[in-house]
Amino acid sequence: MEIFLQLLINGLMLGGTFAIISIGLTLIFGIVRVVNFAHGEFLMIAMYGVYLMNLQFGLHPYVAMLPMFFLMFALGAVMQRYIIQPLLSASDEIQIFATVGVSTALMNAGLMVFGADVYSVDMSSAVVGTGMTSIGSLTINNGQLMTFIVSILLIGALDWFLKYTFLGRAIRATAQHRDAALLMGVDVKKIYIIAFGLGAGCLGLAGGLMAPQYPVFPTVGTFFVLTAFIIVVLGGLGSLHGAFLGALIIGVVDSLAGYYIAPDLKEVVYFSIFIAILIFRPTGLFGAGRGSE
Amino acid sequence: MKKYVSKIKGGAVAAVALTMSFSAMADINVGALYPFSGGLALLGNESFRGLEIAIEERNANGGLRGEQIKLVKSDAVDAGQAVGAARKLTSIEGVDVIFGSFSSSISFAATQVAELAAVPYFELGAISDNITDRNMKYVFRSNPTAKNFAEGTIDAIFKVVAPTYGVDAKDLKVAIIHEDALYGTTVSQFQKDIAKEKGLNVVQTLPYSAKAVDLSSLVLRLKGAGADVVLQTSYQNDTTLFFRQMREAGFKPKALIGAGGGYSMKDTVKVVGEKNMEGVLDVDFAQYLMNEAGAPGIKEFQATYKERYGEEPRSGHSLINYSGAKIFLDALEKAASLKADDVREAVMAIDLPIGSTAAGIGAKMNENGQNIRANAAIMQWQDGELKTVYPEAAAVAAPKFPQHP
Amino acid sequence: MNITQPQNYVSLLLLLLMLVFPVVAGSPFVYHIFILVFSYAALASAWNVVGGFAGQLSLGHAVYYGVGSYTATLLMINFGISPWIGMVAGALLASVISVFVSWPCFRLRGPFFALASIAVLEVVRLLVINQHGLTGGSAGLAVPLQQGVEWMVFRERWPYLVISFGLLSAALFVSWKIKNSRLGYYLIAVREREDAALAVGVNAVRVKLAAVIISAFLTSTVGSFHAMYFTFIEPGAVFSLELSIQIAMFALIGGLGTISGPVIGTVLVLPLAELARGWLGDFADGFHGFVYGVVLVIVVLTIPRGLVGQFGARVGALINRLPGYKEPETVQPSTSTLTHVQSETLGQPILVAEHLHKYFGGVHATNDVSLTLKEGEIIGVIGPNGAGKTTVFNQLSGFLKPTSGSVRIRTSYGEWVTPKSPAEFAKAGIGRTFQIVQPFADLSVRENIMIGAFMNTDDHVEARAIAAEVAQLTDLTDQLDKVARDLTVGGMKRLEMARALATRPRILLLDEVLAGLNPSDITKAIEIIRRIRDTGVSILMIEHIMQATMSLSDHVAVINSGSLLIEGEPEKVVKDPQVIEAYLGKEYSHA
Repeated sequence: MEIFLQLLINGLMLGGTFAIISIGLTLIFGIVRVVNFAHGEFLMIAMYGVYLMNLQFGLHPYVAMLPMFFLMFALGAVMQRYIIQPLLSASDEIQIFATVGVSTALMNAGLMVFGADVYSVDMSSAVVGTGMTSIGSLTINNGQLMTFIVSILLIGALDWFLKYTFLGRAIRATAQHRDAALLMGVDVKKIYIIAFGLGAGCLGLAGGLMAPQYPVFPTVGTFFVLTAFIIVVLGGLGSLHGAFLGALIIGVVDSLAGYYIAPDLKEVVYFSIFIAILIFRPTGLFGAGRGSE
Repeated sequence: MKKYVSKIKGGAVAAVALTMSFSAMADINVGALYPFSGGLALLGNESFRGLEIAIEERNANGGLRGEQIKLVKSDAVDAGQAVGAARKLTSIEGVDVIFGSFSSSISFAATQVAELAAVPYFELGAISDNITDRNMKYVFRSNPTAKNFAEGTIDAIFKVVAPTYGVDAKDLKVAIIHEDALYGTTVSQFQKDIAKEKGLNVVQTLPYSAKAVDLSSLVLRLKGAGADVVLQTSYQNDTTLFFRQMREAGFKPKALIGAGGGYSMKDTVKVVGEKNMEGVLDVDFAQYLMNEAGAPGIKEFQATYKERYGEEPRSGHSLINYSGAKIFLDALEKAASLKADDVREAVMAIDLPIGSTAAGIGAKMNENGQNIRANAAIMQWQDGELKTVYPEAAAVAAPKFPQHP
Repeated sequence: MNITQPQNYVSLLLLLLMLVFPVVAGSPFVYHIFILVFSYAALASAWNVVGGFAGQLSLGHAVYYGVGSYTATLLMINFGISPWIGMVAGALLASVISVFVSWPCFRLRGPFFALASIAVLEVVRLLVINQHGLTGGSAGLAVPLQQGVEWMVFRERWPYLVISFGLLSAALFVSWKIKNSRLGYYLIAVREREDAALAVGVNAVRVKLAAVIISAFLTSTVGSFHAMYFTFIEPGAVFSLELSIQIAMFALIGGLGTISGPVIGTVLVLPLAELARGWLGDFADGFHGFVYGVVLVIVVLTIPRGLVGQFGARVGALINRLPGYKEPETVQPSTSTLTHVQSETLGQPILVAEHLHKYFGGVHATNDVSLTLKEGEIIGVIGPNGAGKTTVFNQLSGFLKPTSGSVRIRTSYGEWVTPKSPAEFAKAGIGRTFQIVQPFADLSVRENIMIGAFMNTDDHVEARAIAAEVAQLTDLTDQLDKVARDLTVGGMKRLEMARALATRPRILLLDEVLAGLNPSDITKAIEIIRRIRDTGVSILMIEHIMQATMSLSDHVAVINSGSLLIEGEPEKVVKDPQVIEAYLGKEYSHA
């Protein structure tokens, strides 16, 4: 029982990390309707950014993630404006390949600039985000706990933004029906740029929150990106709460399958869940998305 | 059906490729085939540096057979590219020999091309045993293989862990964990076989993906099984992840034994932290803290490396590549000509005792071209340094475990 | 294939030139590049059958490639079976697997299909790693280096070149065959508008499966060949997402859905990438990858339709100036197909709907509708907007399944049947049009009609003849070579009719074919409908334009709020107070 509880905690905490990565993806996926294969590389850039800010200015990653949010926002906006926007009316495969191209270019740019070396933020003198919290015999990684909490806060903030601000409502309208929103006078292009920026900006936060646990290297994005796709589809296209729950589910599945089945088969388990969801419930577990559209 | 555009373009490209073959024909051309990009780039590059230093050293001392050596770099990240790279080296660049390759799958593909082109191929780092099991005449390997690694890790239990703790090795609960790609699988397979043969009590064998972002459940399984000794074959990221989560779960086995890869890397210590690596054993090509007596030239190499690249070696891959390259360059110097058959004759004539090279290995090739005097050394992380603890001739420190009072 | 056509002989010549070039150049590296180009072009062509023709963006094609590699290698290692046999065995296995993998995924579109295919690939790769007893796991398998033709391992390079060229030729031939066959048209039809395809009897699932099976088969053969060429396989390398993406990218850059596109894409990109690695690799690790990615983005942004899509027509026109060019022969319309023999069963029921009910959630959209259409008769269905006329039509043509009640059709053999799917309805003799026109917009008018004609023939020439004939009947002869999207509204409506007629229906369901037409077009259309009836086709038509309905219909049925209000002769119906009420409101009914 104790082991089960610990596995559950580990899974939930891992889920928090997955969530912070997936929130941005579901925003982009749900609103702009583009599968951003460069999402992992955006994460890599954010992680390098946080690392550099820590190295140069001694900023704690949790501080560095704030400027990183805006930098990533800018990066996302530029990507949307100059790469996705011209392709909005193109077919899905064209859009996918544009993002694949960006992904390849960025990953190799990372290799050119930083080399293949693995860098990790020096947390030895940091107080926040390190160490463990023990509850009886159960342990929780403080950094992961922080990630978990921030991802909940982030979802709350985005929720509020989408529901109660004019811009947020315009974003939701655009997500539901692009042409109708256009007719209603919404500047769809601008909305998309903001949405993409927001999605990328979330990764800026992810970069900071993950720094204490994960080192950065050029291919780090590929470690997370497929899982993020699974989570977003599982949770339902564009659904923030869905993405969060999806992330927790995948985290727990990862943890439990790793223990009770086999560590090397846990991906098989969650990819199988993913395929089953796509086939039997393409709208996702929680979303009102339109998977089979 | 309008293919003519393509044909013209294709022709142009190939024509350019052709003109390339008429350039760069001075000196002795030597191919260097490694993964310089992609996921294996770090260790591929580190391996290459060893070769580069060996060649530069040779050039500074008058070159090979009186001529300067020109190193032709060729990047390959997978088998398909390796075939292309080897083809290019053997035909367009017209290299006399090829050095490579760090990755076993690259080596498999490239050696086969070189063999058919009758260009000697010197493998300095890939560890899959059957690379040299394919009856090739011109493929030679200086470095230890996966089997040597596995033997080393099992030896470490018998010769280092058990004596230090003063227990019988067969009473120890051993767990084998490994990344599930080629490297980890190959080594762990031998570990399982040898452990069984020697009567060790293996309680868990767990493969996992090197791309895993969470190993906490694996750690809990090891903890639940009460493993005393964990044998891990891993790259860097999974090593650091494992160490972090082991700490979080409060899992403290008597000994951790790595088979090179992530365990040998300075970067790993940087990420994991010195005190967390204290006492961890590592079986690998010999590293930098060896007794000079057992590894002549290691200090100079280290100094040259630092001067050349402005940093400490990132792992032992440069050293083993350096030593291997030197062994083969010596043979090339002595060969009657650079024709493949003369090279083979010269290589087969090599006879260096163990402990006579910078990496501590000796050199004597068997019929298949595999070096039978290449053993992996057993090392231990002590105070942030990887120190050789076994065999005694090369040892610079006695093994000690923080868990053992 | 007519060898004297410039486009054909130029293509063949260039293909041969590609084969000769490395032989003349003689350098092993050039050989290697061309072997790679041929085999990757074969992969891209095979992928294009699914990704281009069928429009299913698969990023999991490495599954089939890997199955080919592993089957051939395992059979060779374990049983000493020649890889030539292994190649066929692998291709068959891949075909079987493709059915199981693709079938459930067909309802997914665009990015979702792509993601599902990636997931399948990952699962297969992980399982191959996990089942190391069978597959050797991730340690990989080394192909024994036994030289000889039967082992597909050679010291010389030219046999590899010949084999890879053979694979490419096979893939191209298959692509060419598909493109010029019924299957090719059907694939495009399903890709563009699945509903319209169903209405002309296309079994969408079967067509897509055929494409996937063919594609998997071809992909797998290249996998087997590559295993023998590289002599080493491991799961990470053969079941790789990068490989899948690369194949698709070659096809994309060249031009999706074209025959030459995948080849051109490969010929252009692969050698460049290969050389760039040599040139740029020294610069900085990763520089060539960076350039590769940037170039891909630029290509996608500047020529999203691919090279052939962008320049193909112009280049084709240039080539056609070469000697030997002949205009495609104008096919004489066949005259026989549509003139039905004077039927003995004229005036007997041909379509019977009994007590149809349809619920959408709580909405009772069709309430106890019964209809009988007699052979040779025109029934006009009228009713206010939203009355549920189209819902009835959809049940009569199989697009909706009635909640209860039955639809029966008398076949030409006199049996009564109740088909199960839209395609079966079409085959039973029902042709239909759509209220919102559904042309295959990128195809020509002729091709649109041919897709209908293919229901009864798989012969290209015959289909053309039928198209010509139907075009005559529907006044589209002048527009046969026009692209459908350029037609006027009237033209599109007539095209709807023409496509339905081309299936040689015995019952035609026309859904507001007159709506939105100008008066002269209406006159034209009415004339056409009469002509159609005179060929022996029974017609059920939904129409708002009363005059037309009155003058055409033998019978008029009025549907209001989902139920059948009245059915009878036009004059009687218009005078019925219920009808007036339904149309104009209660107060008018007593006026």
